[in-house]
Amino acid sequence: MAKKVLNVEDDADIRTFVTTVLEENGYTPIMAIDGAEGMEKVKKERPDLIILDILMPRESGIKMYHELKLDPSFKDIPIVMLSGVSKRTFLRSQAALTEFGDETVPEPQAYLEKPVEPEDLAETLKKILG
Amino acid sequence: MKVSKILFVSEFEELWLDALQSLMALRKAGMNNVVFLHVISRDKVAMRRGAGYLKQEERKLKEIADIRFIDWAETLFEEGMEVVAHIAIGNIVPKILSVAEIEGVDLIITARRKRAKLEELYAGSETSDLLRRTVKPVLIYNYLSQSGKVGENPFERLLLGLDWSVSSEKILDYVLALKGAVKRVDIVHVVGEKDVAKISRMEVHKLERSNKKRLDEVCDILVNERFDARPHLYIGKVEEQIQKAASEHRTTMLVLGAKRRSIWKEKWSGSAAHSLADKSDLPVLIVPAEVK
Repeated sequence: MAKKVLNVEDDADIRTFVTTVLEENGYTPIMAIDGAEGMEKVKKERPDLIILDILMPRESGIKMYHELKLDPSFKDIPIVMLSGVSKRTFLRSQAALTEFGDETVPEPQAYLEKPVEPEDLAETLKKILG
Repeated sequence: MKVSKILFVSEFEELWLDALQSLMALRKAGMNNVVFLHVISRDKVAMRRGAGYLKQEERKLKEIADIRFIDWAETLFEEGMEVVAHIAIGNIVPKILSVAEIEGVDLIITARRKRAKLEELYAGSETSDLLRRTVKPVLIYNYLSQSGKVGENPFERLLLGLDWSVSSEKILDYVLALKGAVKRVDIVHVVGEKDVAKISRMEVHKLERSNKKRLDEVCDILVNERFDARPHLYIGKVEEQIQKAASEHRTTMLVLGAKRRSIWKEKWSGSAAHSLADKSDLPVLIVPAEVK
């Protein structure tokens, strides 16, 4: 059975791009347009991997990532960050959230900065999902 | 009341990073969530004869907005704040209202918005349009008119304009929620010229005493909450006296109440709050009477 990949992304053009890459590589794409919808889809669909943007409406990828990694039911789902926000900022933000009382969260499986080449995305997914 | 989530509306031409940074004083009052909104006017991407809908232009404008917001958001993320962004196409006021509702913000921050002269004559400014239609507090910046810069903390010295209506109570509640961000509060009530024109001196003194008593009561509430607060009574035209008081007390922000009114009522009887929001060089925080 094809592995399910959830893409949380508010930009329709990038959603189309990621969907194409996923389908061409034999994965089943699931889409969410912001972090809030992303969390609902995670609970409902239990994806094998999540591709996560950061700056979106309603809930950011930074908050969603933190919530997932602190939830025992979802903390093992691999996450690939795909964003225009730098990795340094992402790591600092997670550290800042930790300062406010949460546990430390691990780094994501991969961090890709936009724009990404289709081959690089496919390669990253293959490395993680096999 | 609380001020934990703010909506920062920017067209990048009139509200910049320095305005956003000046709002970080609100962190001391519990603000931890910023919603960015950029609205691309339909005119910029609308159908053109021979070219159709300007999809490429839309992509370009969205990309520019995205890059700006990412740059602004990075600093906030690194401080552990939650930041979300909306980039939309359409009319600015309805978009502000809908995003404020979707995100459940406690405060809307926007620059003063004008329309073309003829349109403004009939429909008023976009700022008045927003103030008429929202039940959320709105902070209006107009920093391009004078020095072109925003003070480090606009919440430092507030001037509360109270008219003893329901909105005055709301203003007080809202200012109490800003505790931590505010250093000094000057509470001002203006007795209108017309109110004293046809009464005896004795009655003027009575009016003065009753207003001073009410000002002292408000002042006591603030002082009990450890605000540095002072009461002041002025007589004259409301707008002029508020501006005069702001200048005398080195105010950094005006805080005024407003009722929702129809455009025609606004046009003929006008509110001092809306007028100051349109004219004052200082940031103006308008707290609607209907705010929850």
